[in-house]
Amino acid sequence: MGLRDKYAIVGVGYTPQGRVPGRTALSFHVEACANAIADAGLNKKDIDGLMCYRAFPPGAGETPVTPYLVAQHLGLSPTYMSMDANCSRSHIQHAVGMLDSGLCRYVVLSYGHNASSSDSMRRMLLERNGDDAVFGHFGAAAGYALAARRAMHTFRTGPETWKHIAVGQRRWANLNPQAMMHQRTMSFDDYYNSGWVVEPFRLFDNCLISDGGRALVITSAERARDLKHRPVLIIGMGQHNPSCEVHQASHLAGPTGAKKAAETAFGMAGITVDDVDACEIYDCFTYTVEITLQDYGFFGPGEGEDWFKDGTIEPGGRMPVNTSGGQLSEAYYMGLTPLSEAAMQLMGRCGSRQLGPATNTKEPEVILCSDNGGVLQTHTCIILRRS
Amino acid sequence: MKRYLKPLPEVNGDNKEFWIGCKAHELRFQKCRECGHVRWPPSMICPACHSRETEWIVSSGKGTMYSFVIYHVAFHEGFKDDVPYAVADVELEEGPRLLTNIVDCPHENITCDMPVQVVWEDRTDDFSLPKFRPTAP
Repeated sequence: MGLRDKYAIVGVGYTPQGRVPGRTALSFHVEACANAIADAGLNKKDIDGLMCYRAFPPGAGETPVTPYLVAQHLGLSPTYMSMDANCSRSHIQHAVGMLDSGLCRYVVLSYGHNASSSDSMRRMLLERNGDDAVFGHFGAAAGYALAARRAMHTFRTGPETWKHIAVGQRRWANLNPQAMMHQRTMSFDDYYNSGWVVEPFRLFDNCLISDGGRALVITSAERARDLKHRPVLIIGMGQHNPSCEVHQASHLAGPTGAKKAAETAFGMAGITVDDVDACEIYDCFTYTVEITLQDYGFFGPGEGEDWFKDGTIEPGGRMPVNTSGGQLSEAYYMGLTPLSEAAMQLMGRCGSRQLGPATNTKEPEVILCSDNGGVLQTHTCIILRRS
Repeated sequence: MKRYLKPLPEVNGDNKEFWIGCKAHELRFQKCRECGHVRWPPSMICPACHSRETEWIVSSGKGTMYSFVIYHVAFHEGFKDDVPYAVADVELEEGPRLLTNIVDCPHENITCDMPVQVVWEDRTDDFSLPKFRPTAP
């Protein structure tokens, strides 16, 4: 495909993260975008495209986040803007499409939420999804738990596998001063003692609930050459959206949308999983990491426990995964937790968690990223390369 | 009768026939007259062949357990006296799967693929809810 190597991530914006009371969701979008624009070495006048991840229901006293509000508060008047709704996760494809068509020159992609300190998550949990609530079925954890239970029946998996993911990612978070769990270690015993939420998931199978935001700036590789950081090239993109409600889905135990999305992305990039140096995987739950890597072809069904054990994904491991701590141990900013970490790693800006000599791992050329939405209804695979 | 604190079904143009059927203790699903696909949730057209020709059939109420979870936390106050409770995805003989609850079964005995059958809970004057229990041997 002609899009390989043509577009790049050139800036990353962070905000205070974790529990940051007294702030609106909008304020995190605005701060993350402003920081991403400055990080790229751009001026707000340069930005002509603004894309926002979906917003959860607003907390008490807040207005729903919309792209025009984000633009308004940034003093932008973009020529194109959009926001996805529950949860297409097509943003990188979308941004590249707008850039390649010439309709945009510099696109900012943003997420922000006050999930920890507002009542938004409570409202989100009680939002109706058909008549699921009649039977006491609420929220994403239980949906993914249904998938995980079916997987436990279909192939060898379960807490014995997932503990390696929870603990492995925590070890990365312990190297990341920005991670919510930076100062808290986790042992296998801690994992098992963390208590059931929706069985078969314990608390430590669940991602964090975070205040904060994250944003990226995307532009052409050509324009990227004049900017501040070493550009991170987008070399592969693929998406597949099985779309079925979780209770009708036959893909809960795989293959999920990840398989076809990865085939498309690897086809575009002209590489295989053997060329991947690290992975930044959307990890709303531990099982999500297992089924994604399984569908990407790193191991076969039921081989996950053997693949993960002995620290495969940890600092010093042979396939680092979720090197910021991920959504399980750093912070939850939808697909921007994995994508921004991949960009930072490939720019070489990760300090004591930097892949390479600092963590006794291979210096990364290629990082494989994922994003998925709903309960395995949508899946995006993105492959990034150091320029 | 104690006040019912749990959410009730929300009836709309698509699912009305299903909930009327439940009141009569019948599990009704749409079946495509052209390709025979039995679908859930209810919909305007057949997702398999896009035919608009549809009939409502009554399910045998027999099926197997596709997957299940045990809630140890109540996300809604109506369920706080129920935890731990089981939510299940039951695959009916006719093909569709229904999100439901498992009753009359110790949680440690629930397994995927176990045979189950519908039991009815009459909840309000308007609604009976389809729940499932292990099929009697």
